[in-house]
Amino acid sequence: MISQRKRLSSGLSVTSKVFVRSRNGKALKIVREHYLRNDIPCYSEACNKCHEIIKPDANGELPKFILSKDPNKLKDGSKHYIILDTNIILHTIDLLENIQCFYDVIIPQTVLEEVKNRSIPIYQRLRGLVKSEDKRFVVFHNEFNESTYINRLKNESINDRNDRAIRKVASWYNTHLNDNNNSHENIKIILLCNDKDNRLKANSEGINALSLLEYIDLLPNGEDLRDLIPADSNTFNDFNKDNETSFPEYYSDARIMAGIKNGTLYQGILNISQYNFLQGTVQVPAFKKPLLIIGSKNLNRAFNSDSVIVELLPKDKWREPSYTIIEETSLGADDNAEDADSIGDDDISGTNGVVSDKERLLLAQEAINATNAQSEERRLQPTAKIVGITRRSWRYYVGQIAPTSVIGEDSGNSSKSCFVILMDKLLPKIRIRTRKSKEYLGQRIVISVDSWPSNSRYPNGHFVRSLGEIESAEAETEALLLEHDVEYRPFAKNVLDCLPIEGDNWVVPDLKQTDDPQLKKRIDLRDKLVCSIDPPNCVDIDDALHAKRLSNGNYEVGVHIADVTHFVKPNTALDQEGASRGTSVYLVDKRIDMLPMLLGTNLCSLKPYVDRFAFSVIWELDEDANIINVNFMKSVIKSREAFSYERAQLRIDDKSQTDELTDSMRVLLKLSKKLKQQRLDAGALNLASPEVKVHMDSETSDPNEVEIKKLLETNSLVEEFMLLANISVARKIYDAYPQTAMLRRHAPPPATNFELLNEMLNARKPGMSISLESSKALADSLDRCEDPNDSYFNTLLRIMSTRCMMAAEYFPSGSFGYPEFKHYGLAVDIYTHFTSPIRRYCDVVAHRQLAGAIGYENLDLSHRDKNKMELIVKNINRRHRNAQFAGRASIEYYVGQVMRNNESVHEGYVIKCFNNGIVVLVPKFGIEGLIKLELLGDVNTADYNEDKFELKFTDLNGNKRIVGVFDKVLVDVKSVKDEISGKRKAQLLLK
Amino acid sequence: MILSPAERAYLYESLVQKPAIRPGARSDHQFRPLEAKTGFLPNSNGSARIRLNDGSECIISVKSKVVVTRGESSLIEVDIDVPGFRDDSNFVSNLKFSLTNLLITKFPVEYLRLTSKYSFKLFIDCIVISHSSYPLSLISLTSYLALKTTRLPLLTSEVNDEEIEEQPTFSDDWDNAKYIHPTFQPPIFITLGVIGENLLFDPSIEEEQVLENGLILSFYKDKVITPIINMNLATNSNNSNFKGLNQKLIIQSINLCNKYCPAIIKALDTLIEQDDENDDTDNHIF
Repeated sequence: MISQRKRLSSGLSVTSKVFVRSRNGKALKIVREHYLRNDIPCYSEACNKCHEIIKPDANGELPKFILSKDPNKLKDGSKHYIILDTNIILHTIDLLENIQCFYDVIIPQTVLEEVKNRSIPIYQRLRGLVKSEDKRFVVFHNEFNESTYINRLKNESINDRNDRAIRKVASWYNTHLNDNNNSHENIKIILLCNDKDNRLKANSEGINALSLLEYIDLLPNGEDLRDLIPADSNTFNDFNKDNETSFPEYYSDARIMAGIKNGTLYQGILNISQYNFLQGTVQVPAFKKPLLIIGSKNLNRAFNSDSVIVELLPKDKWREPSYTIIEETSLGADDNAEDADSIGDDDISGTNGVVSDKERLLLAQEAINATNAQSEERRLQPTAKIVGITRRSWRYYVGQIAPTSVIGEDSGNSSKSCFVILMDKLLPKIRIRTRKSKEYLGQRIVISVDSWPSNSRYPNGHFVRSLGEIESAEAETEALLLEHDVEYRPFAKNVLDCLPIEGDNWVVPDLKQTDDPQLKKRIDLRDKLVCSIDPPNCVDIDDALHAKRLSNGNYEVGVHIADVTHFVKPNTALDQEGASRGTSVYLVDKRIDMLPMLLGTNLCSLKPYVDRFAFSVIWELDEDANIINVNFMKSVIKSREAFSYERAQLRIDDKSQTDELTDSMRVLLKLSKKLKQQRLDAGALNLASPEVKVHMDSETSDPNEVEIKKLLETNSLVEEFMLLANISVARKIYDAYPQTAMLRRHAPPPATNFELLNEMLNARKPGMSISLESSKALADSLDRCEDPNDSYFNTLLRIMSTRCMMAAEYFPSGSFGYPEFKHYGLAVDIYTHFTSPIRRYCDVVAHRQLAGAIGYENLDLSHRDKNKMELIVKNINRRHRNAQFAGRASIEYYVGQVMRNNESVHEGYVIKCFNNGIVVLVPKFGIEGLIKLELLGDVNTADYNEDKFELKFTDLNGNKRIVGVFDKVLVDVKSVKDEISGKRKAQLLLK
Repeated sequence: MILSPAERAYLYESLVQKPAIRPGARSDHQFRPLEAKTGFLPNSNGSARIRLNDGSECIISVKSKVVVTRGESSLIEVDIDVPGFRDDSNFVSNLKFSLTNLLITKFPVEYLRLTSKYSFKLFIDCIVISHSSYPLSLISLTSYLALKTTRLPLLTSEVNDEEIEEQPTFSDDWDNAKYIHPTFQPPIFITLGVIGENLLFDPSIEEEQVLENGLILSFYKDKVITPIINMNLATNSNNSNFKGLNQKLIIQSINLCNKYCPAIIKALDTLIEQDDENDDTDNHIF
């Protein structure tokens, strides 16, 4: 119901819209005034009319005309612009980003809003396309344009109204560009729409409307693009006819919302078990222990890390977590494999009878009791089923076509269905359609998931592109970047535009003769003897140090950090890109930068012998490294030398070197040792992870050796001062911005995390245990756990303890109370990241906040707003985690490549025991592998002792063996390629 | 005192005539001409305005809210605002009580039920912008129009939430909103003046000054219902003519109302229909 327009002034009229907002069970009648204007241009360079009507925006800038005067041509040679409908964008965003097609695209505002309501990630990708201007995408604000705004008709559904609005845009463009705008040849306006009905209506109105398939066929390179067209509901009809299976339908939103409110349904993130893809857990705040979800019916089409709604199952279905290993890859080999769902269908139907909310609440109470209960009942865990999915975690997936699913002879061009096994083994295989399945065999391919109907056993997806041969370094590297959601594409033009125009020739301006008030505030520290110490061949030097003995016997110590925020101003495209990447990612043979190279390796990098801007923290420390005074300043420094850890160590150790620089380094070393001791005394943890380093043969860049990282004193020298700087800065910014200071915390591990480990210790190593009262107690108890017969045991325990720890996280200070700021691992009360702004976005924020705190410049609003900070923090926490996983996966891949050439026998340690296999860690390579019972010996003789964490079996040679957790075993390590998943894995065999 | 003793005497004499001679040449069962408009407040679920030719004017807005039925003592809340009177004055509280009481006892609440747990609650807000005679029937007729034109958002979720709770969700299209019920006719009040043997419908302010008694009858579903109230309608002056009520007249008034009120209801319904037809051309009264 929209009343008529009323003209307010020339070029502006007003109308109103009426609708019902139904949220949280409320129904509100809403009336909105809606303003229409006549100065919205068509953004086409070919247009002669629009230049007269445009008006500058609030910043005084005129709108940019982006659509090309000379757009791409169809097969028949006609130039065309494309108008997209919502369903096209939602399903083919991958294709829109493809550089082979889709140039000069008009997105009506109606469509943009519909996309935003349906999927925020796709909306953001679309905005990215519009912003980058590379593909000439424009948003046409038809809803605000006088000539294209339409009223909703009586009894017209909102979808029909929007479809009509989109058609109106198409016909408007057509008349606007091609009638009386005569300086160019006609440009065809094509409306792309997958809704047949809408196309019919459009064609009857004289609009050129095509389906995606028809359009791609009209393109000169259409043949190559056909496979990239995503699956729609019709594509897989041939499968759906025979109803392979049926999953329960999801509950309606109304029911889910009420259920969550009255406490009968719960929301959480699904975590699929690493060892059993048919078992997942959902951590729900109402219960102390996660809810178990067992079997594919109960998992009900959810993917790992989807945000799901669960409902408890009756008590007689509560279970102990399975001790059996089930991998999809093993099942997937045979497509007809029966669902290993031990629960069975009848069970599910039993729960479908009406159970009232009252009964459910009683059940929930019992579940709370069960999760709190001690000892005897403790193993029984409440189970649940998934009844709704609030947010899919769907993204691009990397996988390979299952060879068994490619059927027989190649019958020409018709597309065939086949299965794609994903690299992430926690996910099911995906059904795709392609004509080139043979061609893609043996390649890493990227696919995207489109849907999972309730009558299909597998989700449907479509091919996106091929990365190359399996096991080629490029394909594997790209695959792991994609798998960990690392943005690795080169920086867009609008990002690079934010860099200084001087480029590599940029120099520090003269401090004396300047009008820039900020430059005047900089302190000149070029006389200080600053040097940097980094890994060899480091090009992005974040930090440099200096030390000087003062006349009063104290020391002046300075930490100088690259002044990245001088170049990365808030709210620029460069800043947004940095914020979204969150961190640089380090792979064995590659680095994915957070900021463009120019900044990271030159302008910001504190290179020796040249002037650089820095953010300096200068302390006065006494003989025992206690802080007497601290100052923060933006500065200009000149590094005297860039050392590698080894060279710095050699220079310090070389008694003959007595110059001032070496002396100051000796001072730093002395103070750093004191700082470290203070930290350890306070209870800082010394945990271990099996970190290895891969040596690359520099000529061929083939990995040829694996080595465990070793640490020098100079490593810890730099580390100690960086910690000190981080702590000092954290205090300062928390003081200035108590609600939004960017901090980092490390929560103490909950006792339940160590339950299993302590139980294992108790059973296997009597007398040893890990105490958890404080980090100090934990550190001491770890020190006490020594096995005189096995020097590695202590390290093994540290590795296993590390896995029980909570992950450290970034947070804005307002989210927690001060006592919870504590960094457990470092044993300090407050901490942040300040020292690596080139490669971490947290540090960039900390820099800006510190600059604000010392009055150097005003702090941007986005770092003073708690909600915005929450968003930033959420993203960088995720990016940080992904970067770590990607780095580890890269090492794992290269270790696999090294092992390919040398099969050998190594020492390993059993770290987990199942009733049908054991997990062994091999310290030499830092790898762990599963050895299944079949490979250990006779399956029938196996006997798993739950209390002793040991597995009894008769091995292949007929000897009886007992293997338990913490046992040292000899394993034969070789690398094998799994033919189904295409993944090279370490294959371990017990000797 | 708006009439002089001579005027009072004259008016009294005319009105006790059989048949009564009313100022404005009205017959005894005739209402004053009125002008009405519905559905003009964009943010309300229903709205109505009635203006009389003497300048009396009342605007009513009806708004709805989804509530948990169990938590509400009543699904209808009435608020009346009369300029010049405090909200806690006898005048306003009497009006409010009468209207609330009538609606609560007679309103078919089942029409407001959404599911077994949820209902709509109606908030009826009246402003009497100006009035001369006792405004209860003016308010009541306006509320009739407002309630008749009130539309409630269309429920799209399950109606049965006895066993498994659902949160009500509604269609976002205002055009899908439904009237309370197609056959629903809100109850109304009719004021009658008693003078001699005569019963006068809708007495004007001058008539009120000389009435011997006043009657307020409620009418619902084609017949007179309780409450039937008798009161002095000339609230702002002391009426020297006021006297006891002959009980025969009560029976007579009920008969009269039963005879003439259906015509009033019909007239109001016609008004709404005409308003609907005009809807497309002009939606605003201002």
